[in-house]
Amino acid sequence: MKDLKTPGRPWTSSPSARALGALVAVLLLGALFNAEGAFFKWGTHRDMLRAVSVFGILACGMTGVIISGGIDLSVGSILALASVTFSLLTIHWHWAAPWAVLACLGVGMACGLCSGALVAKAKMQPFIATLAMMVFARGLAKWVTGGEKISQAVKQSDGTFAYVDLPPLFKWIDSRILYDNISVVTLVFLTCLLLCWVLLNKLRAGRYIYAVGGNEEAARLSGVPVGLIRIVTYGVSGLCCAVAGMCQACQEYQGDPEAGAGYELSAIAMVVIGGTSLNGGKGSIWLTLIGVLTIGYLDKILSINAVGEDKRLMLTGIIVVAAVLLQKSRR
Amino acid sequence: MNHCMKTLMVGLTCMGLWVAGCAKKAEQDGLTIGMSQCNLGEPWRVQMNADIQQAASTHPEIKVIFKDAQNDTLKQRAQVEEFISAGVDLIIISPKEAAPLTPVVAQAYAKGIPVIVLDRRVLGDQYTCFIGADNVKIGRAAGQWLVTHLDPGAKLVELKGLMTSTPGQDRHTGFMEGIKDANLNIIFEADMKWLEANARKEMESALARFDRIDAVYAHNDPGAHGAYLAAKAVGRESAIKFIGIDALPQEGQVYVEQGILAASFEYPTGGQEAIDTALKILKGESVPKEITLSSRIYEAKP
Repeated sequence: MKDLKTPGRPWTSSPSARALGALVAVLLLGALFNAEGAFFKWGTHRDMLRAVSVFGILACGMTGVIISGGIDLSVGSILALASVTFSLLTIHWHWAAPWAVLACLGVGMACGLCSGALVAKAKMQPFIATLAMMVFARGLAKWVTGGEKISQAVKQSDGTFAYVDLPPLFKWIDSRILYDNISVVTLVFLTCLLLCWVLLNKLRAGRYIYAVGGNEEAARLSGVPVGLIRIVTYGVSGLCCAVAGMCQACQEYQGDPEAGAGYELSAIAMVVIGGTSLNGGKGSIWLTLIGVLTIGYLDKILSINAVGEDKRLMLTGIIVVAAVLLQKSRR
Repeated sequence: MNHCMKTLMVGLTCMGLWVAGCAKKAEQDGLTIGMSQCNLGEPWRVQMNADIQQAASTHPEIKVIFKDAQNDTLKQRAQVEEFISAGVDLIIISPKEAAPLTPVVAQAYAKGIPVIVLDRRVLGDQYTCFIGADNVKIGRAAGQWLVTHLDPGAKLVELKGLMTSTPGQDRHTGFMEGIKDANLNIIFEADMKWLEANARKEMESALARFDRIDAVYAHNDPGAHGAYLAAKAVGRESAIKFIGIDALPQEGQVYVEQGILAASFEYPTGGQEAIDTALKILKGESVPKEITLSSRIYEAKP
């Protein structure tokens, strides 16, 4: 990792150290307000990791987009679209799991590639292009389902409901493995993280993504296929949304066309609080992991202490600002 | 960019034609009812429209035009204005908010168009009939149900709906009235904003913190279901009674049937009653100014 340590500078100047500082601060907060010891139980951490996984998967795709100098506002809507598609295919149409998973990945990637093409080929602002995709994908999800949740209850022609069984895949993804110690969705998240690390740090495409985000003109002059790279980053983000959507569906045992509203902001916050720059060119997938854990723990600590919604929102705002300032002051 | 512009123009034209095709003209013969729904984002409101459609389909002489205001007060106001100028025979409105929609409802009423207000109220008395259920009463029934089904000293978790919304506040107020005189303790409460994913997360926290929880009262069935999943993941679901509100046929009623929820309290949509009342009004019969819908309890079989 090139950002880890630059010779001649104190270790605190590395982005990873600063991000870790914020995480440790939040953890100390948790140890202080431990809700009668609940914070020290492994179950609390395991459940936090489960709850944060869907956001984490979105943040993985978002990291690539932000490093390339873009933004993706459509992640929450594509998540909903993938979640209803997956439920429809598996619960109602009884598709075999592998085909349904592939079809969902296809839908997610198609949406991502579409935003990417609008940004790279039609030269639209990423904010506008993905805002349009956000609205469109939400509409498509509602249209496909007729506005209703896709669940085990299947509407018959006479208006009554018949109940079908849930495919085994749902229960498996919503279960825990390794002697009940980690949720399957958390492993899905870690897999996405690893794949994004390979893409960003081990492949030539990854260097191109940093180059495009750092200085688009210089990258173009050095022969980087700028347009293609942009399209790829949005396509990967779309894939991550599809994975997150399937995990969401499995955890709710249904496909909800309203799922994921507002998730884009959480995903962006997780990437940025890790220290990845919104200006592009700087950041890493590991910083995103730290950001995901920071926000996840913050949420969990407020939750186990049963802090009221009003104070919870205010505290979240204050702590996010404090975490970012903490990073800045050591720069 | 010329090519792009052309594609865009063609696309927009196609879209315009599609939208034009979707818009249906009000029929000249028969009776037309305009229905303005404040939003179709909630399954309960989708169900309300379905109930109205179902009730209307048995009366071939009436035709219902549905409009969705997408949670936008001004859009809903414009929709009622459109109904007035189209000269519909009756308007059903499920308003988003009382104050901003009162004038336009009064305007329709003054023009001699009967208006049925469904679920949420408007101010004053310039409408024909209000049909709605009482959330306070339903919350109270949920509280009383727990009082009779739990031993004294039982520990409760309350997962609230959005507490800035009236239904959330009413379901809480009613519940507190219902358990007022009983020896039940609410040991954990959280605002899950009607969402299953939030309810599950909050319940995980409650489970981590308390070794004994006897019952969960969620302000809607998805919330109770999310709490059940959290308890099931740690093998504690059989020690806890889960109750929810709404009892939609595809949600709460299924959960009760599957034994996931101990009880679900119906929050009726009033779709059927709205059409029944509309027919009476159109036939010139008199109707009460206010109809309070009764709620059914769906209970798991012992």
